[in-house]
Formats: sequence, structure tokens, C-alpha cells
Amino acid sequence: MEFTEFRVTTRVVAGWDLAASLDVELSQAGLERGLVVTDPGVRPLAERLLSASHRLIGLHDAITPNSEVGQVERLAERARDAGAGFLLAVGGGSVIDTAKAAAIVLTEGGRLLDHQGVNVLARPLFPVAAVPTTAGTGSEVTCYAVIRDGDAAAKVIFTSEWLPPVLAILDPALTLGLPPALTASTGMDALTHAVEAYLSNRAGPFSDALALAALETIYRHLPPAVRDGSDREARWHLLISSCQAGMAISWAMLGCAHALAHACGGLRQVPHGVANAILLPHCLAYNRPAVEARWWTLADVMGADPVKGVAALARRIGLPERLREVGVAESDLGPLAEAAILDGSIFTNPREATVEELAQILRAAY
Amino acid sequence: MAIFARAEDVYAAIGALFEWGSQDGELGPKIGESGLTIRFVYHRPDAEITVDAKAVPPEGRHFTVHCGPSDLKADVTMEMDSDIAHTFWFGKMNLMTALARGQMKAVGPIQSILKLLPAIKPAYRKYPEIARSLGLPGGEA
Repeated sequence: MEFTEFRVTTRVVAGWDLAASLDVELSQAGLERGLVVTDPGVRPLAERLLSASHRLIGLHDAITPNSEVGQVERLAERARDAGAGFLLAVGGGSVIDTAKAAAIVLTEGGRLLDHQGVNVLARPLFPVAAVPTTAGTGSEVTCYAVIRDGDAAAKVIFTSEWLPPVLAILDPALTLGLPPALTASTGMDALTHAVEAYLSNRAGPFSDALALAALETIYRHLPPAVRDGSDREARWHLLISSCQAGMAISWAMLGCAHALAHACGGLRQVPHGVANAILLPHCLAYNRPAVEARWWTLADVMGADPVKGVAALARRIGLPERLREVGVAESDLGPLAEAAILDGSIFTNPREATVEELAQILRAAY
Repeated sequence: MAIFARAEDVYAAIGALFEWGSQDGELGPKIGESGLTIRFVYHRPDAEITVDAKAVPPEGRHFTVHCGPSDLKADVTMEMDSDIAHTFWFGKMNLMTALARGQMKAVGPIQSILKLLPAIKPAYRKYPEIARSLGLPGGEA
């Protein structure tokens, strides 16, 4: 290895019922006048945080899954009008990514898509703190924000060293009520992060350590968390390990499962974790010739053949196994492959994929 | 020591590569069909090359190359040190790694550039020839 690098710029605190003492953490981070960003499903929790805090000034709950450019710009406008000093994202990946993307608009002005690119942002952004309520995206620490461009029916990925939130508050108590299906899909997203970070052609010793630790933990604790949402040990481990996997992908990035999942989300709005769960076994089988040495480490960590292990896990936690079950039409497979070949995640896949090979993976998963 | 002393040296090497590409039967049509205007902004020394695949190209070419400042509105702008560009065109630098390490900046829809990556492979064979003919060193990463 000629070069490696690693950084985590987010201060991460984790503990049971930590959200109840939110102001302590916000104060330590110097954050005041926060606008709470959430979605309608998480609103009751966000309202509780708002009413218990002296450092929060309002609540914006108009965020949906696969959030779109317009939602980001409306959030930025609301924060500006309210005189907010920071955004507190309380929710899953879409909520946190929307807040991160809004921070771009709040800092740089203009429209969100004006700031597309890599290394475009040259200064610290409007501060964001994150309280994840799912154990999946790791967005609370990543340097990415994925936003859907409805006009292009595609997902746009923003990448910058300034995008990670300044503070992540991991409180597993907030995930205790997560329904089994959401626990399963978000958990498979985190597991896919761990696997793809480990197999990435940019993997390094720091990302490896985090990815393998996360994989081992998620693989073991996801089924009990889906079976019994009140399993505190499983919830704790899943929240910590999804954050570790997020740290791993911030450097190592991802692979073809995410490239294809982003395409499925862009074109057919397939939930991200579900798409990953369906695609990962097929992507693993495709990548195996390029990752032979690492394959055996994966098998060792999982205690199973990785393809069979991932497929069996997804089945065990009740996720769909075929793209046809989640709204993808056979005629979509070609356009999905065309879209995935342009996704940034494809460039760190361990095997250089062609459009035809991606289409074959999709056909196998269909 | 920098590979290039003056902007003219950048144009003699990288500008010449794009000029060659505009006439190459393999690379030229693929960039020409993209319909993009791509600006390359170089530093140390400062230089600017714009590849225009929007306007009708001159006879025998698939796109137009402008060396020096241009008023054309770019769809995507790639910005980097001239030495980094030299190393990249030697085929010794992965674009995604260079972006991740902050060695390059891409402004605009990066997907449109990524789409062209497979098409530019012939340029990795051509550029070392051009560099050697100008007496430039070998593009160490």
C-alpha cells in the first residue's frame, strides 16, 4: 500500500437516554438556536426534544424518504427565516442527508444543484448535529449527502470533507420503537456499508478495522433486533456498528451494490436498504474473482460463505429477495445499469464493471 | 521542481493531447457525442483549456479545443495543479482517489465526466509519447 488516510471530524457521543440531556451536548459543542429537522413519523420524538431544550427554536418536519432537492432548499429557507444557528437532524438517513445538504445552501447560497461536484466546498459549513433514530446510513459521520433530483429521476451525491455533522448523538433508546421492517432494511444498509468498504479498492487499514468490526456486530445482532425491538443489547450494538460502518465508507467508499441501489432509488424509489439487501449477494458473487484474499476474511467473520450468509440473513429478517417484488420492472434493468455505471460508488468497486455486467447482476436479482 | 514552467508548456503537452484526441477516430467521437463543454483549470503554472463538444467542430475534428481563457460556459470544470494533470495523463493516477485526496476539484455534474472515463483510455497511451517528445519526465505519482 502506497498511501492511506483516515479522518473522523464528527464528535460522536453514545449512551442510553443521552437525548434527554441534549442541551449538555449542544452546549459543549457551542450550538445555539437549533432548528430541529425531522420527518412526520419521528415528529413526536422531535417535539419532546424541542420542548426539553433551551437551545432549540423550532421544528421542520417536511422531510420524506429519498428526499428531493426542493425539500433541501425549503429547509434552508426556513432555517434562514428563523435565524437558526444550527440544524439538529433527528431521524434516519434522509433527514440527516437533507440537513447536511441544506447546510450547503445556507453557507454558499444559490440553488443546491449549483454546488454539485467534488471538493467544490472550500470552507466549514453551517453546523449540523445529528441524532439518528435508525441504525443504518451512518450519515451522522459521513462526508456524503445523497439527495434525489426528481427532474432527472436520479440521485445526486454531494461529497465534501465539510459535510460531516459537527456532533452525533447516538442514543439507542430512540431506536427501541423502530418497526421490524425498518430495523431490517436499515440494518442491511449498514451491513452493506461494512462489506463494500472492506472490499473497496480504496480500503485501508483504518477503514478495514471499522468495517470488519461493524460487519461482525451487525451480522450477529440484526436478527435479534428485528425479532424483538426492545432487545437493548442488540439495539446498542447496531447503532454503534452502523456508525462505525459510516466511518469506514467515508474513506473507503462503496461498490456496485450501492451504485445499483442508488439507481433503483432514483428511478423507482426502492427503499435504499431493501435495494442493498437484494443486490448485495449478487454483487458479492460478481466481485469474488477480484477479492479472493479478502473473501476468506469475510467468510471467517460471518462464519458462512458471504453470498449465502448475506442472502440467508436477508431472508431471515423478512426482506424481499427480488427486484420484481419492490416495484422494479424488467424494462427498467437496462436504464438502471446505465445509471449505475455513472454512480460514484462504482469507481471503488473492486472489479471494474461494464454496463452489461451490471445488467447481468440486475437480471440475476430480478 | 514543477514539470511545466509556463502556461505555454502546458498547452504544448496537454493542449496537444486534446488536439490529438479531437482528431482521433476512437476517442474523438465519444467526447464529441457527449455534447459537453469541459473546462480544465490548471495551477502552478496557471493555464486553462476548454474542450467544446457543443459547437460544430472544424473539419476533420470531433470537438474544438481552446487553449487559454475562454468565455464559453462550462458544464463541468476540473481544477488541479499542472503536475497532477501530467501524472493523470500518464495513467498513473486514479480519478476518484485524486478527488478524494483533494488533488482535483470537480465543479458540476461529476457523472458526466465519469461517463467519459472509459473513452479516454487511448489518451493514456498517447500522452507519454507527447511528453517524451517534449523531454518531460515520466509522470511519477
